[in-house]
Amino acid sequence: MNEFEPKVVAFCCQYCAYSAADLAGSMRLQYSPNVRIVKLMCTGKVDVIHLLKAFEGGADAVFVAG
Amino acid sequence: MIVADRKPFDDIKAMLEGFEKILIVGCGECVSVCMVGGEKEVEILASQLRMAAGKEGKKIEIGEITLERQCDREYLELLKDRINNYDVVVSMACGAGVQFLAEMYDHKIVLPATNTRFIGVTEGEGVWAERCRACSDCVLAETGGICPVTICAKGLLNGPCGGTNDGKCEVDKNKDCAWTLIYNRLDKLGRLDSIREIFPAKRYSVQTRPGRRIHEAFKEKE
Amino acid sequence: MQYAKKLLDEVGIDSRRVEMFNMGASDAQKFTGAADEMTERARELGPNPIRAKKRES
Repeated sequence: MNEFEPKVVAFCCQYCAYSAADLAGSMRLQYSPNVRIVKLMCTGKVDVIHLLKAFEGGADAVFVAG
Repeated sequence: MIVADRKPFDDIKAMLEGFEKILIVGCGECVSVCMVGGEKEVEILASQLRMAAGKEGKKIEIGEITLERQCDREYLELLKDRINNYDVVVSMACGAGVQFLAEMYDHKIVLPATNTRFIGVTEGEGVWAERCRACSDCVLAETGGICPVTICAKGLLNGPCGGTNDGKCEVDKNKDCAWTLIYNRLDKLGRLDSIREIFPAKRYSVQTRPGRRIHEAFKEKE
Repeated sequence: MQYAKKLLDEVGIDSRRVEMFNMGASDAQKFTGAADEMTERARELGPNPIRAKKRES
């Protein structure tokens, strides 16, 4: 492994953060390509276990956006 | 309900040092309600242990199961096919559950993941408070439904003591004086007369340890 | 979130790796900001120690 490329998981609410991400795309805003988005109906569904499982699976950073 | 705390992660990890196949057993009763040992907490502990092992490059296998409760043989029996696949069992139940599990499977190492605290109630979201000491000789009828054995720092049956201070306790200023609470409650109920009653010395003789009780209908069988 | 951070710290995974952001549907900049911030944090903290071990073996 020469260059470390972090894997970032984003838990996004379909109605706010996911739309925001979508809009970022339409606006041609540049942002980190390391982010993998998990779309949820609502971030209220996110439980600590989901965050832990993401880290267990090897994520380098995790964020919840909603 | 019985209220418990989860043991610190480092303690649990240290107990499990060297074991590779671990079965974590949750309990669906009290400890589920007080959020220390139910299905969700089993998942969290399993995930934490897997991460800790992964970090050290160790391989571990974790089984997860949550029983209806661990204080009945019928439910513990459900483990019998699975338990032998593991080197060690971690019980997330209260002390009673851990012991009963260990008793039923006495060829297995059974370890506790919780510290059992008290018999209590849910005061608010995520807040539990002790309400009963299981003294085997209830006095709530005379004290307006407030237990001096539990709530009074000194467990006084005839209070308040000289340390009552504007409704607070001399032992801890943040705690209510049980006997002020009792006085106010009795006043509200129009039963203040009962505070004049002097309680005789507490009958500690009924508090045999370990406690055991047999239902009338089953006494013959015993 | 505090709970998740505590659980991760207990295991020895830096709790700065997890965060919560609030934003509205029109907050595109907020989203890209969050994405960049977390990627930057991950770069600073280095690989997730679990992933690093897995790769070694």
